[in-house]
Amino acid sequence: MDAVNWALEVEAAAIRFGGVQALAGVSFLIAPCEMAGLIGPNGAGKTTLLRIIAGVLSPDSGRVVLSGIDVTRWPTARRVRHGLALTHQIVRPFRSMTVLENVTLAAGHRLTANPFAALTRIARAAQEARAREILAKVGLAGEDSKPVTALPLGHLKRLELARALAVDPSLILLDEPLAGLNHNEAAKLVDLIAGINAGGITTILVEHNLAQVMRVCRRLLVLDQGRIIADAAPHEVMANPAVREAYLGPGREHAAA
Amino acid sequence: MSAYAYSVLAITGINVMLAVSLNMITGFCGQFSLGHAAFYGAGAYAAAFFAAAGSSVPVSLLAGVMVAGALGVIVGFASLRLRHDFLAVTTIGISFLFVGFVRKQPWLGAEMGISRIPSSGLGTQGNALLILACALATIAFSIYVNRSWMGFGFRAVGDDEDTARSIGISVSNYKLVAFTLGTAIAGLAGGLYAYFTQFIVPDSFGFLVSVMLMAMVVIGGTGSTLGVVAAAIILTLLPEIFRFINEYRLLIFGGLLILVMRFAPEGLAGLGRVAVGRAWTR
Amino acid sequence: MAYYIDLAFNGLVFGCMYALMAVGLTLVYGLLRILHIAHAAVYAFGAYITVIVANATGSIAIGILAAIAACTLLGMAIYRLLYEPLLDYPPYVAMIASIGLLVVMEDGFRIAFGEQGLTFARNPYPTQLHDIAGLTVNTVQIAIIALSTICLVLLALFTTRTRIGIGWRATVSDPRIATSFGVDAIKVRYLNFAIGSALAALGGALIALLNNFVEPTMGFVVSYKALAIIVLGGLGSLQGTLIASLALGLTESYGTIFVGRFLDRDAIAFLFLIAVLLIRPQGLAGARTA
Repeated sequence: MDAVNWALEVEAAAIRFGGVQALAGVSFLIAPCEMAGLIGPNGAGKTTLLRIIAGVLSPDSGRVVLSGIDVTRWPTARRVRHGLALTHQIVRPFRSMTVLENVTLAAGHRLTANPFAALTRIARAAQEARAREILAKVGLAGEDSKPVTALPLGHLKRLELARALAVDPSLILLDEPLAGLNHNEAAKLVDLIAGINAGGITTILVEHNLAQVMRVCRRLLVLDQGRIIADAAPHEVMANPAVREAYLGPGREHAAA
Repeated sequence: MSAYAYSVLAITGINVMLAVSLNMITGFCGQFSLGHAAFYGAGAYAAAFFAAAGSSVPVSLLAGVMVAGALGVIVGFASLRLRHDFLAVTTIGISFLFVGFVRKQPWLGAEMGISRIPSSGLGTQGNALLILACALATIAFSIYVNRSWMGFGFRAVGDDEDTARSIGISVSNYKLVAFTLGTAIAGLAGGLYAYFTQFIVPDSFGFLVSVMLMAMVVIGGTGSTLGVVAAAIILTLLPEIFRFINEYRLLIFGGLLILVMRFAPEGLAGLGRVAVGRAWTR
Repeated sequence: MAYYIDLAFNGLVFGCMYALMAVGLTLVYGLLRILHIAHAAVYAFGAYITVIVANATGSIAIGILAAIAACTLLGMAIYRLLYEPLLDYPPYVAMIASIGLLVVMEDGFRIAFGEQGLTFARNPYPTQLHDIAGLTVNTVQIAIIALSTICLVLLALFTTRTRIGIGWRATVSDPRIATSFGVDAIKVRYLNFAIGSALAALGGALIALLNNFVEPTMGFVVSYKALAIIVLGGLGSLQGTLIASLALGLTESYGTIFVGRFLDRDAIAFLFLIAVLLIRPQGLAGARTA
């Protein structure tokens, strides 16, 4: 299987929290440019898995491989410098900075890699230009000098996305980007994400909003009680009785909207 | 200028250096250090020790810088593992540990301190001007850091560490650098102080001094170099200009802290800045 | 051997004193996430009131009661006037204001009552010696252990047996669930400060009796130790605080043997703290944050 360069390989990831096996040996491969959705009922372990891929948590066993490099023991910042980007479910912009500054800082990720090297650089023009480009792409053009505290949720979500794009990633992890958005906002954001993916960035999306996920993801991974119980195209997955059982409880036959 | 005037100038310059360097740790990078006086003291004692042993001025000052910086790195490592409030308490501990340790070391003069530190050869005026020059250099450096990408990184770390990591910033490295730079400068201030007064005692570097320095930073407005400089100058000169204040010094000083925190938590810088919707949230 | 038991007893006495102080501090932190550094001033205030009222009335008991009453009010006032307006700001703002208050009060004591401090006009207790199991102890030491044990047991009963107490304790652990216990969140805060301050007052009164004098800087020394204790005990945890208080009392007692040559007794507290935090960054009883 070495001939293909996988964007992401997760191999037998397992982790235990205070008596609960949150992940019980999760394995899957993501090819470059894929758009995969990670779904499952509450408590299935989706966020845990995402955190392990992101480097926020270290698995008890198993491996995470990014573009062929084993990053299992790498801290988040290092993974980000090697092509990973992530957004948070609860948006966390830098509060003391404006919208533009938030993205500019991310765009300067090569400069900030080493603090002492960073000390020698002052010019921001190039990064600001790139930041403006990205802000325009996510539909936030013209919001540059606003303090982030003035933005509504929908815009904050786009800012999260802009910041993730600014680190020039090859793989983006999105943790429930649609949470809290109304139908219109959610649809627009999902289209934006699909557009980004079409541009060549591998995308993994953790989401509860199944309608939107089904629209854009070509592949769904279903997690339940720490294991992957399905990994296929959306309609196949949704027709899988094990998946329905996981979501709806045993014995009920009703398609989720 | 009289000797007294030079002395005021010198102390002001030293306080400016200390406050600005603390601001780099606390204001820029968000690490609450209530032990800054310990690094100041470490620098003073190291420099005094080397000077008494016959070293030249540059070497002694360098010793002050290195000892303080080394201690700073150690505390910096502690800051990596500790939450903000734990860190605050630990740094309080550093303050007390330093004094408690030095007081008991005969080779450091114990309670009596180190007296008759060899002269730097510059004379009172020369020393004061040297301090002034260093203070100005510190201010310039601080402003530069703030404008640089390192300062940009510091702000991210101070705002939200996890988010900083998610854009590729090694939070640990930045914290360590902040501590090292801030404490090294404090060490330099200590060395300069030792040469100026030629006499140092442990109590000059205790917790209350750390509190005073922190007060300068918060009253000036954490993160703003010029605000902190203004606060340092005002808080140093006030007791000198209004002699009667000296008797009630701590009272006024504490009262100022309460008033500023209660009514203008962003300090002088916040008052002076045209606030554009900069609201604090918990 | 008797020497070591003596040290243990000494450590126990101080441990109880620290517990009386530290409980108030950890209660405030648990509820509001504020480092109530001015708590030390409440403690010192309690000590001063005890001496002043005792000297004025001739009764130490009245002095102690007056101190408890006064400090309870003072503690609640501090919450209302200093902390409540600052709750929306980052916690360090309240902490700095608290430091400011401590400094103001300590200097206030100096200006109002003199730098040399005050003593009791008539205090026979520290010199009343008793022989208990081969140890020579004085009345105050016994009182400290007895009273603090009684108070802490009462506190434990209150927080586990009464409705208000249970609701209060739950709220201290998790401030968001106050309302589901039918407890008024605001009342809980005042209760918090009241109880913590009352205990501190008792602590202050007892130390005043033990040393037979009070002086303006007495709060500083204790404040930082109490801080070390609550950090060690895991901020917000009552049990942890009690364990840490006793641990510190004993460590100081025995510690002076080993490190007394290098270090001030008072600095031992912090050496202990730093050593523990190096191994367990969350403190002795704190929960590990994810």
